[in-house]
Order: sequence, then C-alpha cells, then structure tokens
Amino acid sequence: MTPHSRIRRVGWIATLAVCTALYLLLHLKVNAVRSDVINAEREIVALEQRKLLLETEFETRSNQLQLAAWNRVDFGYVAPNAAQFLENERTLARFGTPRPAGAPAPIRVAGNSAEETPAFPKLVSPLTGKPIDEALIEPEARPARPGSLVAMTASGGNAVRIPLGAVVGSASR
Amino acid sequence: MNAYAIQVAVPAGRVQLVDVRRRALLLAQLRMLLIGAVFLALACAALLRITWLGVVQPAPSHRSMADALLPPRGEITDRNGVPLARAFPAYALWFNPRAMDDGGPPLVQSAASVAARLKAIFPDLDEYAVTRQLEAGKAGYLHRRVLPEDANRVTALGELALELPRETDRHYPQGSMAAHVLGYVEDGEGRVGMEAALDDQLSDPARRGAPVALSIDARVQGALEDELNRGMRSVSAAGAAGIVLDVDSGEVMALASLPEFDPNNVDAAGRDFVFNKVTNQVYELGSTFKPLTVAAAIDAGTVTDLSRRYSASPFHVAGFTISDSHGLGASLNVPEILIHSSNIGTAHIVDGLGAARMKRVMGDLGFNERPYIELPARGFPIWASGDWPRLRAMTVGYGHGIAVTPLHLATAYAAMVNGGIWRPATLQRVTPGQANRGRRVFKASTSARMNQLLRMIALYGTGRNANAPGFRVGGKTGSAEKPGSGGYNKTSLVSTFAAAFPMDRPRYVIIVMFDEPKGTLASSFQRTAAWNAAPTVGRLVPRIGPLLGVFPDDTRDIDITDLKPLVGDSE
Repeated sequence: MTPHSRIRRVGWIATLAVCTALYLLLHLKVNAVRSDVINAEREIVALEQRKLLLETEFETRSNQLQLAAWNRVDFGYVAPNAAQFLENERTLARFGTPRPAGAPAPIRVAGNSAEETPAFPKLVSPLTGKPIDEALIEPEARPARPGSLVAMTASGGNAVRIPLGAVVGSASR
Repeated sequence: MNAYAIQVAVPAGRVQLVDVRRRALLLAQLRMLLIGAVFLALACAALLRITWLGVVQPAPSHRSMADALLPPRGEITDRNGVPLARAFPAYALWFNPRAMDDGGPPLVQSAASVAARLKAIFPDLDEYAVTRQLEAGKAGYLHRRVLPEDANRVTALGELALELPRETDRHYPQGSMAAHVLGYVEDGEGRVGMEAALDDQLSDPARRGAPVALSIDARVQGALEDELNRGMRSVSAAGAAGIVLDVDSGEVMALASLPEFDPNNVDAAGRDFVFNKVTNQVYELGSTFKPLTVAAAIDAGTVTDLSRRYSASPFHVAGFTISDSHGLGASLNVPEILIHSSNIGTAHIVDGLGAARMKRVMGDLGFNERPYIELPARGFPIWASGDWPRLRAMTVGYGHGIAVTPLHLATAYAAMVNGGIWRPATLQRVTPGQANRGRRVFKASTSARMNQLLRMIALYGTGRNANAPGFRVGGKTGSAEKPGSGGYNKTSLVSTFAAAFPMDRPRYVIIVMFDEPKGTLASSFQRTAAWNAAPTVGRLVPRIGPLLGVFPDDTRDIDITDLKPLVGDSE
C-alpha cells in the first residue's frame, strides 16, 4: 500500500464519518421539530376545547328564554312595525314632497369615485366622439414660452395649467 | 548486547523469578485490558442506545388532531349554525371514600365543614344531603357539570376523596327550548326527538365530526315558545302546541309543545311532558277544516259561484242535526260561511261535493296516514275507513269525526296556500331548490282563491285578532269540543288558529293550538280560538316575520276587491 492510497483511504473514512455525523444531527433536528409539532397540536386541541367551553357557556347564558325574560323585565323591546322598514329607494322617495310650481331647481352635484374613473382617455371630443390626442391637452408639450400666460391662452389650448410663480401679463418686460 | 550479557550471567534460580514476574505483569495487563473492554462495551452500548433513541425510535405516539377534536357525539345546530345540542367536556364531582387508602377516615376535615366549603363553590348544592353522604362514606356523585374554574377551587380544598373525573356530557345550551324537537340522551342513546332519529349519524365516527343542521331557526323557535307560553298562562290552558312551516320547502322553522321538559335534566316530572302534542297527539281540529273543504269544492268545480247562497237553518241529516253556535241569518254565501264559520253552510258545500270526493281530497292531504317528519313519535289519525256516509263527510267538512295532528293540518294548509303542492314536512335543513318532490292536491287557481278567502277571514271574520298590521295574515279559527265519555264535553275545548302569511305571496304557515283554554280576563272571558289562539298568532307574526325575511308593508296586500262586495256589510 502506497502512502498516497493510505492518505486517500483515511480521507474517505473521514468524509464518511463527517457525513454520518451531519446526517445524525439532521435526523435529531427532524425529530425535535416533529415533537414541537405534536406539542403545538396538543396546544391547539386544548385551546379548541377551551373555545368550545367558553362558546357553550356564552350560548347557555344568552339562551333565547333568558333573553326573552330580560326583555320582559328590563328592556321592553317590541317588534318593529311597517313604518320602520324601507324596502327600496322608491319607498324612501315616498317621504319626499313634490317641488311646488315656480320653485328653483334643486342643486345637483355629480360625484365620481376614483375607481369609476377610466384611466384613458381623459377627454373625448364632443364632435367626433373619439378620444382627443394627448398632445393637444398637455400644455407642457406646446411650444409656448414658459411663464407667459398670454402665450398659453393665445395659442387656444383647451386646458390651461398655470405654473407656480407665473407672471400674469407681460408687465415685467 | 548488554541484555545478552546479563542473561548469560544470571543463574537458573533468578531466571525462574524473572519468568514469574513477567507472567504476573502479563496477567495484570490482561486484566486491565478486560476491564477496559468492559468499559468500552458499556460505553458502546450507551452510545448505541442514545443513537437508537435519537434516530430509530419513532417520535412520541402521534394522535392526529382530527381524532382528538372528534366529539364523542355529533353536534346538532339550528339552520344558522347556532348550537342546540353538543358534547360538552365537563367535570363531575365524585366522592371516593377509599382514595386515601390508609384505613383512616376518608376526609381530612369534618364532613360538615367540607360540605360548607362545597356549598360556597356550588350555591345550588344541598348542604345537608351532602353532609349526610360524606358522613355515610358511600361513593357517589356530589355534583355534575362542574366548570373548570370550580374544579380548580374544589382541588384547592385539598381533599383527596373529592375526585373530579372528566365526563363527556350532552349539553343543550338553549335549555328547555326545542326540547321536543331535540329529545335527550340517556345511557349514550338518543331518545324521543332528533337525538333518536339521527342516532346512527350522531354516533358514527366517520360522520359525527360535522354538525347536523336542523331546519329550526332558534330565534323563531324562541319567539314561538315565548308567545305560546304567554298565551297558555293567560288562558290557563292545560297545554299548547305550535308550528311554523315553510310552505314551499316543507321545512319546519319552529315546533313547540308545551309544557316542555328540560333535556339537560330529564327527571320523572320531565318524562311526563315528553309526549309531543304537535306530531303525536291527534285532535279534532274543528273549523280549521272548513277552508280545506271549500278548497276541495272549488277544485272539483262544485262551487263555481262564490255568491251562491246556502241555507243557514239547522240541517237534519240521518237523524242528526247540524247547527251553528249562534244564528247567522237565513242564508250565507261562501265567503260568509268562512268568515262566520258556519257548520251548516259547510255541510251544504260537502253535500254538493259528495262524500267520495271529500274523502279522496282528505286522503290526498295525508290525513289517512302518520305525518311525514323525521321524529320517531308520530300519531296515527282517527280516520274512518270504507265509504264515508253522507253525514260523516259533512262532519269531516267542519273538522269533526276526524282527528289529526297539528302537523297534518300545517302541511295541508301549506298545500292549500302555496299553489296546491303537498309536501312532507322535514326537520332537516333543505338546500334552496332541493325541496322534496311534492304532489299536486289543488289547482293553482284554487290556491289563489283560497288565499283571498283566508285573508278575508282575518280581515272581517273570526281571525281579526290575528291580523298583525302590515303582515297580510290570513287564517281560520277552530274551536272543537273535546270528546269525553258519552259524547262531546261542552266545557273543554281545543282551540286552534291556522294561519299563513303574507297572503299576497304565502311563505309560512303557523298553527297555534291551546288545549282546554279557560275564559279569563285576558281572553275577554271567551274560550274560543278567536280570543286566545288568534291573538297569539297576531303577536307572534310581527316577532318572527322580519327574522324569516317577511317585512311589514302597509302598502301591499292581496287583491280581494272582487270578493269584497259579497261581504259588504260585515266590516
């Protein structure tokens, strides 16, 4: 046996020993985790039983006969009558009065929530019914001199965005 | 070379000595080796054992959570999941005089002081009886259903003889409510109600994990029992029965028989009330049959003109005179017959219908067999077999000479108002659209007409006290004398109100029945159903209507304008 092969053999045995040791460690760890799981399950069972107990106690203390007895003595709630129910908007509208002749029209405010707003397009042409080109309504894209309100309004844009610190008119010049 | 010299130099005697020393040294080394080997073997064994414990041996015996949480008996809930009966892990307080096992007295303290301390924990304990039991030294229960906190306090007393065994107990959180529906458990077996009917399912390990949902609604059941109890006390009745039935699916929403018993504690007194008046006791239910008779006649086409007037003078048939409780004028039309509850008029209608057809319709309504329900106790009706003579058909027409259970009447009314389909009643929750297949008894047109007539009785007739505002109640009273020895007993009645609501689209049938009501101040000194059963329905409907999805509405009602002129002056 050459010294080389002896070293190789020792190396293999050492590797095997290390692997076995690691395997044993892992196995012990697995078993420990398994025990933890079982303990956790036992705790869950105990808690479930405790929950059942408390729930049953609550149901027993608040049973229908008891509630009826309390209601008779302490609360005196009675069944609601027809006037206390509103079935739909139509029944709600019954409580309104028609607008007398000559009265001003009520102010109506339209509302829109963020979810209902479509992402695109921002504006639809009332003439063609098609979305208007983004470039037309984005003032930044226009070749106007920044800071000049006159230039912006003169160009006939639909939307006007006034930058902070803008000077109205051209008095400074 | 040195050693060789010595060896040469030593004499024979010394050589022997060296040999002995060497042998002794060898022996000592051998012994050392042996002891070392033994220690090594022990260490190896220990190491192997540790390895075995850590690696090979399985983890602590594993019991699955599902097994641990499986109740010893299945839970029963109402249709909304409210628990009505459940296995309840409770402690019991057991006196074991041999616990100390030292030949001395079983208790450390005196029996009287232990009893006094127990009394402080359980205020309902009979201190004297417990003292006697502890002094006698006989093993036995001192208290059952002990809560964990109380169990801890008992342990703190430090008496070894007071044991707290854990028991699985059947507990009914709602107390006596729905006792006749649920029944009770004795010796591990269900008795009387659904505990008996579902016994196999509730004790089957494969199926008992999931709770069984009944068709009962706990809130409706509570309201029904509350109102029945109130009505029963106010008229000093011997008993009461009530049922709320879904007309489309046949589900029983509430079913009560009073006086009730407590399934948590069934004693001799409770056992007397176990009998179910709704499903097991048959009664002659009197005038509540009249709408069924009229429906049969309309359905058969023998009554086509509701304005036709029938004579209201006493009717002599086969040596028997049919009469009304009070004079109702010379003649009556069909709505008036129902509104004033005329026996004579109903007899004339049956005469036109014929006994054979009358019997067939009554049979179709299930009056010739036990009621269909899961409960084990179901009464057989008193039903005349063979061909009915003319008089028999007439008396059946107004609810005499036939005795059925209130449940029979409820299913028949459900068939009359729901469009004409008879369905068996059930106590198990029915998935919408999965109702039992029914059979057609009446035409839909007949049913629609009867809904109008029932509504008119509640608006203008004997059922006015049941007319809860906004709920469009319709129904019919019935006050039948109870049969006694030698004919009918004039003073003891069975008063019934059979109702349905809302009449513009009937959804629920209610039967309320009082057994032997007395005339009291609360019922204006009257004993008939108009003064006891009808007001009870009138109070019950507003309580249960919104719970069952029927909301009061003053703006809608069934259209009775075509029949209103026929009873023009009775309002």
